[in-house]
Amino acid sequence: MGGSAVSAAPGPRPRGPRLARLLTRALLPIAVAAAILVVLPPLWFGDSPYTTGLAVEALVFGCYAVGFNLIFGSTNQLFLCVGALAGVGGYSTAILSDKASLPLAAGVALGTVSAAIVGGLLAWIAVRRSLNVIFTGIVTLVFSLAFTNFIIGQRDLTGADTGYVLQGAATDLADDRVGGYYLFVVVLVVLLIVFRALQLSHVGWAFRALRDDEVAAELAGVDVARYRIYAAVVGSAMIGLTGGLYAYSLGFISPVTYGFAQVDVQVLIIVAFGGMGTLLGPVIGAAAFGFLDRALTDSGQLREAYYGAFVIAIFLFLRRGVVPAAVGLFDRLASLRRGAQRVDGAPGRAER
Amino acid sequence: MLLEVRGLGAGYLGEKVVSDIDFEVSPGEAVAIVGSNGAGKSTLLRAIAGLLRPMEGRVRLEGRDLTRRPAHRIARAGIAYVPAERHLFPAMTVKTNLALGAYPRRPDRSALELVYGLFPRLEERQRQRAGTLSGGEQQMLAVGRALMSRPKVLMLDEPTTGLAPKLARAAFRALEGLKATGLTLLIAEQQVPLALSVADRGYVLENGRIRLEGSPEELEANPEVRRAYLGVA
Amino acid sequence: MKAVILDGIVLGLGFGLLGVGLTLVYGLGGVLNLAYGEIAVFGAIVVSQVMDRGAPTLVAAGVGMLAAAALSVLLDLTLMRPVYRQTGEERTLLGLLLTLGVAFVIVGLLNWKYPTGALYIFVGGDPISIAGVPMAAGSVWASVITLGVAGVLLVFFGLTTFGRGVRSVIQDETGARLVGISPSLVRTLIFALSGGLAGLVAVTRSMSAPLTVTAGFDLTTFALIVAVVGGLGSVAGAFLAGVLLGIVDNVSAHYIGEYITAIVLLAAAAITILVRPRGLLGR
Repeated sequence: MGGSAVSAAPGPRPRGPRLARLLTRALLPIAVAAAILVVLPPLWFGDSPYTTGLAVEALVFGCYAVGFNLIFGSTNQLFLCVGALAGVGGYSTAILSDKASLPLAAGVALGTVSAAIVGGLLAWIAVRRSLNVIFTGIVTLVFSLAFTNFIIGQRDLTGADTGYVLQGAATDLADDRVGGYYLFVVVLVVLLIVFRALQLSHVGWAFRALRDDEVAAELAGVDVARYRIYAAVVGSAMIGLTGGLYAYSLGFISPVTYGFAQVDVQVLIIVAFGGMGTLLGPVIGAAAFGFLDRALTDSGQLREAYYGAFVIAIFLFLRRGVVPAAVGLFDRLASLRRGAQRVDGAPGRAER
Repeated sequence: MLLEVRGLGAGYLGEKVVSDIDFEVSPGEAVAIVGSNGAGKSTLLRAIAGLLRPMEGRVRLEGRDLTRRPAHRIARAGIAYVPAERHLFPAMTVKTNLALGAYPRRPDRSALELVYGLFPRLEERQRQRAGTLSGGEQQMLAVGRALMSRPKVLMLDEPTTGLAPKLARAAFRALEGLKATGLTLLIAEQQVPLALSVADRGYVLENGRIRLEGSPEELEANPEVRRAYLGVA
Repeated sequence: MKAVILDGIVLGLGFGLLGVGLTLVYGLGGVLNLAYGEIAVFGAIVVSQVMDRGAPTLVAAGVGMLAAAALSVLLDLTLMRPVYRQTGEERTLLGLLLTLGVAFVIVGLLNWKYPTGALYIFVGGDPISIAGVPMAAGSVWASVITLGVAGVLLVFFGLTTFGRGVRSVIQDETGARLVGISPSLVRTLIFALSGGLAGLVAVTRSMSAPLTVTAGFDLTTFALIVAVVGGLGSVAGAFLAGVLLGIVDNVSAHYIGEYITAIVLLAAAAITILVRPRGLLGR
């Protein structure tokens, strides 16, 4: 499923049937997930705009999570500023396309690039100053909070607390919830393909090495700094892109749309629950998050308490995430069966 | 019999590094444990000190079972351990480091005098931060701190680590001085001649097991020891 | 200008007290207690509930502080055990994430049970003149209490045997074990102390302005900034940083604006990490 891939360094480009097999193996998990997501809406939501809205939100968080998975899950940089990066994408898209009357695509592209630059800058600073995980977390948290304060402070430009209503090309998308759902399914699939491509390339190999043992990786010739910045730029671009598109989908954004307490905590749960560094972890996590959200709709104020309890439970018991746990279970079952089929007469025993 | 170790086994992550360790130390004795790198000397001492949880066996001090007790309890029971890494308190002065050695009691005037008498350099530098001391001075401080608790047994792991030969010899002369005061010593050391110079008895540790034991003369005369550790054909 | 600075010092002393609890727990075990602000708010709610039932202010404050301390100890004895079993970065990360979860649980429960909960301790009396500047009686008393506690803490950690023992665990945990100090006992006691301090901060803050249930996150953020700037693990550093940041906060708020001020404070933390990671008085 979504776990580790081919470990050897990539060889010469495969041709013909080998290529087909390779592509299948690479893209199958994504295709399966995409199929499920496409088929789901009519079966499950019916016509409820509220549920569809929740589903869109879950997809959006799934997209954020893929980006965060690249930054934290793959290169161990605790960027507690997912919301702010999405906000950079969202606000710049909204403001630029409205004030400069740019078409949708251009606005979103600018938002994506802005977020990518900010993310890359943060990573560059962290790398130059050799910040450890905690300090990276604190610095990015500071950035998150500063960003929120900045948005609120710049009343004239951003509408501050009362929020910003997008004009122009936005309104069509905002009214069409179902359209929004499919849009984000496409975005999620695209992001997953990018992630998968990286995972299977020399970049993914470098990521695995650096996550395993940073010093060993450095000594083996992996330029840890460069790969970290690279991951941050791509991950931030993903987050910014999603943030920008989400702004259009909602038609209205405010600091709360991209706040730390509203975004980062959830993304952290999603990635941790699903499995850090895995391909489908974010998808499974986001799905779980969507279901959880739906289940907690009527809990009112207790929602936060349940979230907290969920966070605690995940990090105490399911620290590696659902995907690795599932893969582990699968492996163990497979080896048990293998052991039971031994022909030499010895009683079957797991060969682990 | 002051310190008794029976069938001790210990290691890391499920792998046993030392096993079947049997020995004892009588009051006032100096016992040396020699062996090359990786033989398991540090593991053994850490297991006795409680920094490492023994997997099997028993450690008894004056008949009292200390196996698997937390390190701070073992320290309070009277086994003072000076690890190779020393673990001093870098931002605190020499004086404060020594004072903490007597925890939970307040520092004993006479204990402090003993330490300063043994290591006059420490008295000179008593207001200096431990982190700024030289290697040799840090070693002295580590030993001094351990002495402040008036331990029943003093365990030292490779006390000559990072010391130039002259300082290493001086260190062992200091240990002789300590022994003369009646203190019981257990010393793990790679440098065999130095270790045997102060010991009453020695054990040779190889691949985690005790290979040989005997008096310094017996060990020095043993052909295996001579070939492996003394560089003599 | 003098009034602004004095006000800033008052504010800063409160900041310092906030930072101390957080910095100690981090220094001792590498755990960044993100639930700190919520524990303070919990203490405040307890105080207000006890006061509502007719108890005198002083008693209520004491009960509140004890409640906050008890909650902290509960946290240490349960959720922190698996955290301390990890080492290094793993430990800090897990501690951060678990305390984040706890923060959400506490604020969720408090919001649910006491949605309009707030604590305000009214200290009557005429404004008191300090260095020629009239200051509200409540603020002055809050500062006096904070100064007193600061003094006690500094003496405790600097001079007493146990205080030295605590500092030794911060500097070298293994070394502390070797001299007979139990790091886990020290951590539990200091967790309790930090909880009590959180409760005290809630009480002193509420002497100047009402402290509401939603204040938790801001309190944690302030505490974090002060602890980082002062140097994680340093009590004196937390107070020094607190006073400096308090002055900066007030001057900036007075002459520039509220949101810029927030950014300035946040930037102070970021700049400290980037330029002098060990903070003002850290190792």
